[in-house]
Amino acid sequence: MIRCRDVSDLLLDYVEGSLEPGAREELDQHLADCPGCLVFVRTYRHTVGLRPSCLPRSARIRAERFTNAS
Amino acid sequence: MRRVRPDEAEAAPDTLLIQRLRAREETALETLIVRYQARVFSLALRVTGNRQDAEEILQDVFWSVLRHIDAFRGDAKLSSWIYRIAMNAALMKIRQRPTAEHIPLDADLGPAMTGDGRIAEPVVDWTRLPGELERKELTRRLEEAVERLPPDYRTVLVLRDIEGLSTEEACEVLDLSVAALKSRLHRARLFLRKELSDYVTGRHRAPAAREPR
Repeated sequence: MIRCRDVSDLLLDYVEGSLEPGAREELDQHLADCPGCLVFVRTYRHTVGLRPSCLPRSARIRAERFTNAS
Repeated sequence: MRRVRPDEAEAAPDTLLIQRLRAREETALETLIVRYQARVFSLALRVTGNRQDAEEILQDVFWSVLRHIDAFRGDAKLSSWIYRIAMNAALMKIRQRPTAEHIPLDADLGPAMTGDGRIAEPVVDWTRLPGELERKELTRRLEEAVERLPPDYRTVLVLRDIEGLSTEEACEVLDLSVAALKSRLHRARLFLRKELSDYVTGRHRAPAAREPR
């Protein structure tokens, strides 16, 4: 049975869809019962989805001006 | 020299380009530049965060490709080989900068656990912060956190989560095993998630602490 402590080890494969089906089902079951882990997974996924541009500040400002103007 | 249009350059596969570079064809360098300069520049810019560094890397990379094209064995894709040269050049630049010496162990990057392995504290859900400003601020914090990642973690994160390379291609570029790449990527993501969580929870506590007495 999966415990909260195990979630982090499975997380990368889980969000990338490469976790094997048995483990995935067990993790889904745990997340259904554990609000803390559910939020942990949700915030991890959200962090990845934010996609930082990592461009230097000058390039970012230009890009923002461009998108604001369009 | 005849200008090579990007669509014309794209049409010829890399194997042909490699042959042309080896034959020292006059237009081969131009094709190489047209095909790869945007990708190399973007990668260099995102890893170093500095336009001048990225421009230097761009020049170094093409010079290096020309010098070593005869030694290129072709067991990796040309794009991966070029990425690898760019990444090594970018690492040289950023290794001299101050970043976190190391990032904490996985166990310290997730929620705190009890002795029997259960979550010991409430986990704040900050994924639905209202407003465009909040979202922009979060992205800004994220970018600052990426800058603090140690170089070996930053390169993995840039390749996978920003440039969108597959795990296999990122492994090829960085000469890492899949397990090592996944481990670094996961820890980098955990580090960033924790930075954002700490920022949001600290920020939501902050107004009370700052109130005038």
